[in-house]
Amino acid sequence: MSTGQQSTPATPEIGLVGRSRLLPPLRAHGDRTWRRWRVPFTQRGALDYITAFNPISLVAERRIVDKRLLWWLAALLVLVIVPPLFGNDSFIGAGTTFAMFSAINIVWMLTIGTAGIFSLATLAVVGVGAYGTAYLSVYWGFPWWAMWIAGPFFGAGFGVLIALPAIRLEGFYYALLTVGVAELCRVWVVQSRTLGAANNGLYGADGFVPADMSTTGGITLGYFLALAMMVAALALYTYVNGQRLGRLLRAAPEKHEAFAEALGINYRAARIQVFLISSAALGFVGAFYATLLHGASPSLFTMDQLLLLLAMIVIGGIGTTEGAVAGTLIVVLLDKVFIGLGPLRLVLIGAIMLGTVLFLRGGIFGVAAQFKNWTAKRRSERRAVSRGKGGIVMPEEATEIHDKQNIAIGLFQLRLRGELKALVNDALIEEHRTTPRSRRSDNLERVLNYFRMAPMAEKYGVLMVKPFAEYRIVAISGRRGVPPRAVDDQMFTTPEDADHGVFLKRVQDLMES
Amino acid sequence: MDPYYVALTTITLASIYGLLALGISIIWSSLGMINMAQGFTFALSGYGAWLVSQYIGTNGVVVVAGGVLTGALAGALVGGIAFIPLYDKPNFPLRSLIATLAIAMLGSQSLLYWFGPRVKALPKVFGVGSIHIGSAVASYDKIGTIVCSAALLLITLAWMKRSRRGLEIRAMMQNPEGAALVGVGLRSTAMSVMMMTGAMTGLAAVLLSQNFFVSPFAGTMPLVKGMVVALAGGLGSVAGALIAALLIGLIEAMTAVELGGQYVLITQFAFIIAVLLVRPRGIAGMIEHTRE
Repeated sequence: MSTGQQSTPATPEIGLVGRSRLLPPLRAHGDRTWRRWRVPFTQRGALDYITAFNPISLVAERRIVDKRLLWWLAALLVLVIVPPLFGNDSFIGAGTTFAMFSAINIVWMLTIGTAGIFSLATLAVVGVGAYGTAYLSVYWGFPWWAMWIAGPFFGAGFGVLIALPAIRLEGFYYALLTVGVAELCRVWVVQSRTLGAANNGLYGADGFVPADMSTTGGITLGYFLALAMMVAALALYTYVNGQRLGRLLRAAPEKHEAFAEALGINYRAARIQVFLISSAALGFVGAFYATLLHGASPSLFTMDQLLLLLAMIVIGGIGTTEGAVAGTLIVVLLDKVFIGLGPLRLVLIGAIMLGTVLFLRGGIFGVAAQFKNWTAKRRSERRAVSRGKGGIVMPEEATEIHDKQNIAIGLFQLRLRGELKALVNDALIEEHRTTPRSRRSDNLERVLNYFRMAPMAEKYGVLMVKPFAEYRIVAISGRRGVPPRAVDDQMFTTPEDADHGVFLKRVQDLMES
Repeated sequence: MDPYYVALTTITLASIYGLLALGISIIWSSLGMINMAQGFTFALSGYGAWLVSQYIGTNGVVVVAGGVLTGALAGALVGGIAFIPLYDKPNFPLRSLIATLAIAMLGSQSLLYWFGPRVKALPKVFGVGSIHIGSAVASYDKIGTIVCSAALLLITLAWMKRSRRGLEIRAMMQNPEGAALVGVGLRSTAMSVMMMTGAMTGLAAVLLSQNFFVSPFAGTMPLVKGMVVALAGGLGSVAGALIAALLIGLIEAMTAVELGGQYVLITQFAFIIAVLLVRPRGIAGMIEHTRE
């Protein structure tokens, strides 16, 4: 699978030459044109900007190249303010679901986007974390904070189990195997008596909400904690994806392992590392789930829940965090707003997912790029059709032409011919016939100048056979010592008539070109 | 442990798993697509057979034919939605996988919406009764299952070996581009592959519904089992799928007898992971480069 290459977020920035004027300049202090601080543990600044002195005003100006961080901050601000202020309990609960699934999807993006491994056991890892910590709490009396500590260990342990086949297996084999592993887990928890087979889930775990808190307060606390978890997941994604490990993984996508290995990349170790990291994070999400809902349910392992999760990242676009969050938002909204529709809302989500995958290449966040691509393609098609093949040089031909100026000249001549053709009409030809020795109109001079510009080889000329009696049209060979050849049998009695005959021939050639 | 009973159960399971796995395997090798909507095809065929038994007749042949036809139609539907629009688009393998997953979700929820969550029972198409083989008791169900699936498997394999369409399918399995160059229509061949595998799944649905019920989500387990068998056998290999079906059927029968029914999936997964770790492409899997 070539997910890793095609849908990684790092769309190459086309140089800033043509675009920088579109970025609004901000005042910057002249002393501080360089980045003074960096994101901890990384080599980069938080905001990608360029600083330059304005050549006219000599003021230091700063232009923000990548505004995504600002968008993220604005979106997070909305998420922090809006639901607790304006929503009721169920709305805030839906927000908690959204934040939790966003965290899961962002972490999933590390394996499915950065590493390009189509693992479908993500929710199973969360489920293992949830069940494991719920088990510890129910049977061993772990408090909620100890469950949060234990969660990543369960996740990482399970992550090792599912990472081992990932080293050997390729693409589809692995995707199918992970689906099977999730189903195996579901069957196991449904049948196991210790894991609550009787009451459809293992319940009774400790929760993080203090006992003396109101219902709304508890729900709001859960929402803010889930939101914090989502931000943590984003930080983890940015850190892993943007740093050494992410680069190693993106250099070794599916089917390019041999190439990566030849470069000295130990892709097996990198994959195990990313599985460990993401599984530990997912295990923590599982522990959070268990403390939020006071237990775990087998629905975490069902195929339907997995498909819902997949729908989220597919709608948003595989490979980007903003896609993961936006897709989650859409699916959770549809799921919670149209809850009265019953199964039909899942049909709706499935239809949106199907439409996305049939028509879009990179989810909703790939629409802009795809549209741009499409318009560029249409434009080039139209250009090719309207101009014909004439002076257009295809790229593969251009490599054969030594003097590249000839390409431009050909193109210029093509346009010139197009303009001159529009000038030629019966009146112009009649003018040429009637005014052999006098001043011509501007249009006729333009046409004649073009004819005079023609190269010597195969240029038409007039041959005097008998003075003042017999003239005929010839084509000049263009080579020294090679006589001109007769073009046709037509005889003219005056040189003016012959000139006009040459003109007619040239006009004919022009109109036929 | 009764060897006759184990053998009989093994063969019954193997014939159903063989039908399911062969479908997945052939689709993958000829179309380059993992058909996750096989479970939906399975469930829809069950409902098709149920509708036939409700409105047309409960004769065994009619019910089986209804299931097989519905399966073929469902296969054509999946092919028309997930293969035809996507096969020449960039990133086809992943997008078709997601498309079939979307169909699986859409389909099972639609079935839930139309038919409700209550399960349906199919009539006993092979009648009720049993005969004795050695010390084991073989019910008509088991005999019928073995005979029907063996017949369909043999017909399919002979058709793929003898007919012109079968030749085209095999050409496409070896090299789709080469097949297209020598005049094999990729779309029509793909649709016939989808219909054929859909019919196989439909038969498996009717046969399996003799012991289980028809429900919107009945397809998940057969899908997983079919995939397990196809993986262990190696995607794209008919012989491998049949061998793996026998082995996995044997493991299931042995586990059910020796350890208990709840350990079946675990031993099967232990087996398949062991197989895949030794042979990453399954028992007789095609080399990836052949397919591309």
